[in-house]
Amino acid sequence: MKTLRYILGGPQGGGLETSSEVLSWAFARSGYGVISDREYFSNIKGRHSYVHATVSATEYPKSLDYPVDIVAAMDAETVFTHFQDLREGGYLIYNVDEDKTLYSSIPSMEHDLRDRLTALFKELGIDGTLASLTKYLRSRGVRVIALSYKELLSEIQRKEGIVPSQVSRYISSIIIGAVAAITGLDPNALDQSLRRRFRNEEVYRHNRALAMLVIDTVRSQFGSELKLDEPSIKSKEVLVVSGNDAVAMAKTVAGVRFQAYYPITPAADESFTLEEYETLGGAGSIVVFQTEDELSAINAAIGAALTGARASVATSGPGFDLMVEGLSWAGQNEVPVVVTYYQRGGPSTGQPTRGGQSDLLSSVFASHGEYPRIVLASGDHEEAFYDTIDAFNYAETYQVPVIHLLDKFLANTIATISMPDFSKIRITRGVLASKGLREYRRFDMSSPISPRAFLGDYVMWYSGDEHDEYGHIDEDPVNRVRMMEKRMRKLEIIEREIPEERRYAYYGPDKPSILLIGWGFVKGAAVKAVEELNEEGIRAGYFHIRTFIPFPTNSVTKFIREVGLENVVAVEHNYMAQAAKLVTMNTGLLVSKSIVKFTGRPIYVNELVNAVKNVMKGSTREVLSYGA
Amino acid sequence: MARKLTIQDLKTNVWVDWCPGCGNFGILSAMYQAFAELNLDPQKTVVVSGIGCSGKIAHFINVSGVHTLHGRSLAFAQGIKYANPDLTVVVNVGDGDLLGIGAAHFVALGRRNPDIVVIMHDNTVYGLTKGQASPTLRINLKPKALPKPNIQDAVNPIGLAIAAGYTFIARGYAARVQHLKELIKKAIEHRGAAFIDVLQPCVTYDDIHTYDYYNQRVYDLQEAGWDPLVRNPEELPEKAAQALAKSYEGDGKISIGIFLINPHVSTFEERLANRLPDYLKAPPAREAIEVDGRPVIDHELFKRIFSRYIIEF
Repeated sequence: MKTLRYILGGPQGGGLETSSEVLSWAFARSGYGVISDREYFSNIKGRHSYVHATVSATEYPKSLDYPVDIVAAMDAETVFTHFQDLREGGYLIYNVDEDKTLYSSIPSMEHDLRDRLTALFKELGIDGTLASLTKYLRSRGVRVIALSYKELLSEIQRKEGIVPSQVSRYISSIIIGAVAAITGLDPNALDQSLRRRFRNEEVYRHNRALAMLVIDTVRSQFGSELKLDEPSIKSKEVLVVSGNDAVAMAKTVAGVRFQAYYPITPAADESFTLEEYETLGGAGSIVVFQTEDELSAINAAIGAALTGARASVATSGPGFDLMVEGLSWAGQNEVPVVVTYYQRGGPSTGQPTRGGQSDLLSSVFASHGEYPRIVLASGDHEEAFYDTIDAFNYAETYQVPVIHLLDKFLANTIATISMPDFSKIRITRGVLASKGLREYRRFDMSSPISPRAFLGDYVMWYSGDEHDEYGHIDEDPVNRVRMMEKRMRKLEIIEREIPEERRYAYYGPDKPSILLIGWGFVKGAAVKAVEELNEEGIRAGYFHIRTFIPFPTNSVTKFIREVGLENVVAVEHNYMAQAAKLVTMNTGLLVSKSIVKFTGRPIYVNELVNAVKNVMKGSTREVLSYGA
Repeated sequence: MARKLTIQDLKTNVWVDWCPGCGNFGILSAMYQAFAELNLDPQKTVVVSGIGCSGKIAHFINVSGVHTLHGRSLAFAQGIKYANPDLTVVVNVGDGDLLGIGAAHFVALGRRNPDIVVIMHDNTVYGLTKGQASPTLRINLKPKALPKPNIQDAVNPIGLAIAAGYTFIARGYAARVQHLKELIKKAIEHRGAAFIDVLQPCVTYDDIHTYDYYNQRVYDLQEAGWDPLVRNPEELPEKAAQALAKSYEGDGKISIGIFLINPHVSTFEERLANRLPDYLKAPPAREAIEVDGRPVIDHELFKRIFSRYIIEF
């Protein structure tokens, strides 16, 4: 096998993240590429949570797809929720002790799913117990690995002398062992991964013993039937990181030394990572400031930026809304501050732990008054890393706020990526004022980008009110026109200096007959879908937007003209197809076909391929909804 | 600085556009004198202000001025201070600004105890939007701009500051410039979060809290024998309770002076320095982040810091 897909499911807080992390690391350690998305409710313990992963022997995967090869269930709810995700001949790993469990008796299950199952089970003649469902699945060719979790746990408890009340903590290693067995995972890689995860020697030993016991049990019955091919990716070093981690790491490289934040999902983990590594291995330190609210976070970051520190905030939709007032002050005062913006499902708290791309228009337009800004959007972990560094360079070069858009999909997805190429990384701090000037004017009007000095270097003034060159309030109409033009002309400079090829990426054949336009996490699925469509003889291409301000106007116009407006389809994680609106605004070309998904779950390759085919048959709007 | 700073040095050529007779003139005058007497380096001093009449003060003093947003001045001030702890940061803020829209920040700053001075221009009204009731206007009062008597109770700024953890808490009166100047000097010299509530008549919209009103009522706490110093940490509960009681004195008497000085709390900058050994030596504002355009965190250092995320084959 070249590619393996699996789902691990269980109650939130039950060890699922451990299973996921250990397996991801073990596969990565064996030389495979891994991407692993985590889906969860807004809940600490008990609701259904799952991990959906792709492991590849040939590449660092960036997309997720259905059906999967394995569903490994910690509990009955996982089986009821995901049995339809299995491919023909796929493997179900489950706890046979729960055979009598009725789907309708599971309190954590959402009533909508229960209602759908009621209808389906009636149609299929399933009585609703786990036993009846697994029997049905066996009859449909699913390979069912029925394990007694109770017996496995008590055996390991006896062997290892574990206190009985503690033994349920080890359930994650049953899932780990079963997946490792079926896929023929290298025991050494698994061992190293367990050792990395469990720093406590005893806990490591217990988990290892249980995983090995399960491996023996499963292999004796099934062998390693889903054995992956030898990996063909050749790399000396690989990073295994979440999107949050990738951005945090990039911030340290970019020179961020002040980060302010107020806790919000899914942004907060980025600040946690920064705080964990705050002393930078002796090369300086980052002040990570947990504020009382987002208003304070953005304004503290602006204050820090005025002193010369590279400063940022990390937030999500509701938090960004609170920051907009401060952002406008930064725009008025030409402050280089970076907002790292992890989108999630809205409006309001919407789907706080799910993904989305519905804040694009808000990022581009959020303001009272007009001011220049830059808006970047990352499509995968690598882009997130380099975009983070660009964000700070652009902010200081042009002295404007920069919004860096990411989303929950990326934030919580763990992926293998290449080590960053440090030879490509530059730090540019923009025009700085010379030392020893007799007089300093912060908003010197001889150029749209005035030389910057830091608080502490000279006496200077800032004001949210319209101001003169010194920063003092000035409402004179002539000054107003000159000062507005000084600021707004930066947009022309940005337009001139940030090259068109930085603003987009194109994947697919020359002269495609259908062009998908998307951004953010759409990239992974779209690139893969385009590959599959081309293999089927459909000349599809994907135009990936990487910057919204400045917009890749010339390139997108050229691509749209070549393929013909009627063959252009926006692919986005929102209802309105917001990027398509910006294409229209910037080019005057009305993109009216769309494939959208706003369930809070990512777009999967198979559903995108189908949707593109439907569009080619005449559909103008496809609303995707696959996924639990 | 070679030469001693004078009040003339501290004046900008910006016209002070407060109403004639405004209490803010007294505060400005006390600021000039305090800064001159402390001989502050103008480049290393930052006046941060919010919105409203008080907010304009940042433009009238020849030190760096950051005139920010309504309610948010403390957030800006903390960003500035934590990124560059060498700067002297003095916030000037209105009562609506600090205790209405900015109350969460006011409380949070007290918990952190940064070495920042907060001077509240307390005139019981929102002056620049024509006299609406501020959080320090007592219930049932009707200054002339209000169509109806105030329906909300007043907050007790001194009491709130005690509860929030400010370590220097005082009240001044804009018409007693010398007294206020001394308070400002002591507040700047205090190591930690200092709060001064400055009674400041709004001559245009508040016909109740006039100069006459205050002149008849204010008395000096220190002249009356109040010792604000917390001599050891164990003394704090008792001392704070007594200071709180003083802050609740009735309409007949209004105390000015220092309510509380608690020198036993670490500043936020000290707390940061405890966690970050390089912090005071190379704070965020002054740390080198690049060498010839290359990041100081290079490939090797990156690998060392983030080894937990890296697999080497």
